[in-house]
Amino acid sequence: MPDGTQTMIGQPALRIDGRAKLTGRARYASDEVVPNPAHAFLVTSSIARGRIRGFHLDQARAVPGVLDILTHENVGGEAEKPKPMAGGDTTSTLESDRVWHDGQIIAVVVADSFEAAREAAHKVRVDYEAERPSATFGSPGAEEEVRKAGEHKDYHVGDAEAAFAAAPFKVDARYGTPTQHHNPIELFTTTCVWNGSKLTVYEPSQFVYGLRGNLAQQLHIEPGDIHVISRYVGGAFGSRGGITARTAWIAIAARRLGRPVRLVPTRDQGFTIVTYRAETRHHIQLGATSDGRLTALRHEGWEVTSRPSQYNVSGTETTARVYACPNILTKVNIVHADRNTPGFMRAPPETPYMFPLEVAMDELAVALGMDPVELRRVNDTMRDPATGLEYSSRSLMECYDQAGARFGWKSRDPAPRSMRDGDWLVGWGCASAAYPANIGPAAVRVTLTPEGRARVQIAAHDIGTGAYTVLAITAAERLGLPIEHVTVELGGSELPAAGLAAGSSHTAGICNAVAKACEEIRQKLALAAVVTNDGALSGQDASALVLREGALRSPAGAKEDLRAALSRVTGGVLEVYAENIPQGLPRESIGKAYAGQMSMSRGHSRQDATTYTFGAQFVEVRVHSRTGEVRVPRAVGAFAAGTIVNPLTAHSQCIGGMIWGIGAALHEATEIDPNAARYVNDNLSEYLIPVNADVPQVEAILVPERDDRVNPLGIKGLGEIGIVGMNAAVCNAVWHATGRRIRELPIRIEDLL
Amino acid sequence: MDIRLTVNGTEHALSVDVRTTLLDALRERLELTGTKKGCDLGQCGACTVLMDGRRVLACFTLAVAAEGAAITTIEGLAGDDEPLHPMQQAFLENDAYQCGYCTPGQIMSAIACVQEGYAETDEQIREYMSGNLCRCAAYPKIVAAIRQARPLLENR
Repeated sequence: MPDGTQTMIGQPALRIDGRAKLTGRARYASDEVVPNPAHAFLVTSSIARGRIRGFHLDQARAVPGVLDILTHENVGGEAEKPKPMAGGDTTSTLESDRVWHDGQIIAVVVADSFEAAREAAHKVRVDYEAERPSATFGSPGAEEEVRKAGEHKDYHVGDAEAAFAAAPFKVDARYGTPTQHHNPIELFTTTCVWNGSKLTVYEPSQFVYGLRGNLAQQLHIEPGDIHVISRYVGGAFGSRGGITARTAWIAIAARRLGRPVRLVPTRDQGFTIVTYRAETRHHIQLGATSDGRLTALRHEGWEVTSRPSQYNVSGTETTARVYACPNILTKVNIVHADRNTPGFMRAPPETPYMFPLEVAMDELAVALGMDPVELRRVNDTMRDPATGLEYSSRSLMECYDQAGARFGWKSRDPAPRSMRDGDWLVGWGCASAAYPANIGPAAVRVTLTPEGRARVQIAAHDIGTGAYTVLAITAAERLGLPIEHVTVELGGSELPAAGLAAGSSHTAGICNAVAKACEEIRQKLALAAVVTNDGALSGQDASALVLREGALRSPAGAKEDLRAALSRVTGGVLEVYAENIPQGLPRESIGKAYAGQMSMSRGHSRQDATTYTFGAQFVEVRVHSRTGEVRVPRAVGAFAAGTIVNPLTAHSQCIGGMIWGIGAALHEATEIDPNAARYVNDNLSEYLIPVNADVPQVEAILVPERDDRVNPLGIKGLGEIGIVGMNAAVCNAVWHATGRRIRELPIRIEDLL
Repeated sequence: MDIRLTVNGTEHALSVDVRTTLLDALRERLELTGTKKGCDLGQCGACTVLMDGRRVLACFTLAVAAEGAAITTIEGLAGDDEPLHPMQQAFLENDAYQCGYCTPGQIMSAIACVQEGYAETDEQIREYMSGNLCRCAAYPKIVAAIRQARPLLENR
């Protein structure tokens, strides 16, 4: 497409869905009005391992208004297990009498009212054959195995063991990160409505085609008979990517009843009926020369998963390539326990795996007597050390320099406990952020009218990321229209398929598809305008014409208004369907998207270059010298993510991620009863997330970066990068404030007394 | 039980289970789904509405106990063709939201926060808005929006 046409991409734009969200008119899945719904309430297991001997349902059935109770005994054979996006097998629910984990769905009560369903669900009595469960690492009966390369790779470069043994400066330490739950504020609702053989599912989703395709397989029906609707999503963070067990049972409940059924599960059920971020352990060994150059990097990780699943995140795929190092060795182990199957949660690999690397780098800087920023500079590289490929772009040190200057890092006294303010010990820390620039296939339909209105239809997902608005911006720019003249329809399986909204891949995937469709429109109009004998653009070079300000224009200033240009190709509206297959993916990948299978070109799996987004995090902590209370008065992050389509929403994403990182360092952890293998703090008052008073000042800088190789629009994505490294930066700041090196998250008062 | 609820100036007659919360009555019976269910336990603030001008959690208020009160929900701030309420406009301009799910509760709480006189400083806003969780973590922008809207609300 012709250069020099970019005017709207990169300019801050208010959300086009803003008014709907701010007035309460936006319909989230459970807000959709359906005729006369019955209400479902889940019964979940109170043991973590064993079998169900039988149910006592008489009391529950006697509750006025109860319509049906689903258990494995009456519907177990009606659905297959859902297929997880990664890790192969998973736990079952109503398919059998088996209990795999605490809080597993074992029955569904349906009643005329929510109140009756809830009352009856609490009156269901269950006889179990209970076995002693394994809760986590170190629990008797937990099974450890080395993760085989498959979905994820290991790296062996040079001889890391020998290089580590010979290194004059070393760090050799073990780290841990806790179980975390996404806890989006919208609950994990599902509403199912049958109309003959056609099923409509209203469910918050990051992948409506994935939900459709998988549900069709589970229920043995045609995907085309299922319509998934998810226009607005009340937060996702990875929790709504893959299908979970509840959906099929609600569909079956609605079919049995011949009436719509709505499920609004409780907050605590959300801890066990969907996925979560599993706890991890790490062993890191770094070796370096006296001038700070890394000579050895070994990173071994351990991750918990359920009994049947191989799910793991293998963040060593990132930690192996952040710094120049000639000798690299990585390994990942998985530990099976009696738990629900984990899954994607914001920066799934990098949040837990960059923590140990970035704390170890801080420890190495201390051992070397070097400034931690300078240690990163010495080890910066434009070539991926794990594969030898070039980075398509990498602005790590620009991020450090800009964020560091804004933060005032220069005036830091490197000695720990040196920056006291009364009773408060002040500490400053920093860390690197890195996340692969991923992209998925996407199809889109763009319609242009003679009145200069455009419609973009794509099964994309706006999970708060601003997808509605970046789609409108891209179409407006490429068609030469004001943003207000573009409408966007997304979040439904009736629309052209787009992949999963996850892994910082979505904006790149969907905006490149829109740009492609708009380019086809421009070409059609331009070709028709130049071959005609009677127009202002007759005989011009079609490739040089652009759509701008409601007209087709030549570089020299000749123009034809949109209505006239459009009339040459259509008597009505011009509608273009386009598919964008990212470089490195096969053509069939778009077919896979329609079939509901995930396919993604990943920043570390390309053959031509390694594509990554980088950033730098700086944070100040204040630790009370007598109580150990930790506060974070300010944080500054800088991120370089290629083209930023909408700096306003991108900035919101970044500060949101940074605050997640502060939460990961100081607040968030799901506590597990080691005997019952049960989540204990499964509510929002005891599962701590940052509140407004916790985050006084959080600044994000979007560092300009141009990347012509990553994809045509140069978008690297930034949904995840904001969280990465922040947990380590806080931890490093706590060391600077107190002299205590905490290697296990979250950092609690008791660690500092 | 037969009750009358006055919501956004309109009186509704409805028959509810005595256990029905104001939240479920608004959402399931009156199709006013702008008020959100985030926890049903009074922990997240997504269901915040105004009752006689005071902010209350609709999940912690029984519908029968709301009879006789003037209830204002997010839908009551600006009609379809009306300009946004200054607090909504400030949230829009500051991008003080992402997914938008906690937003109706944040806005109702923010209006009350100003009217209570607890929006004098940023620190005060942060403290008195900490009962409204935002998992997208738009907090610094929520503070900026309230700071911007405060004088407009005080002059209303």
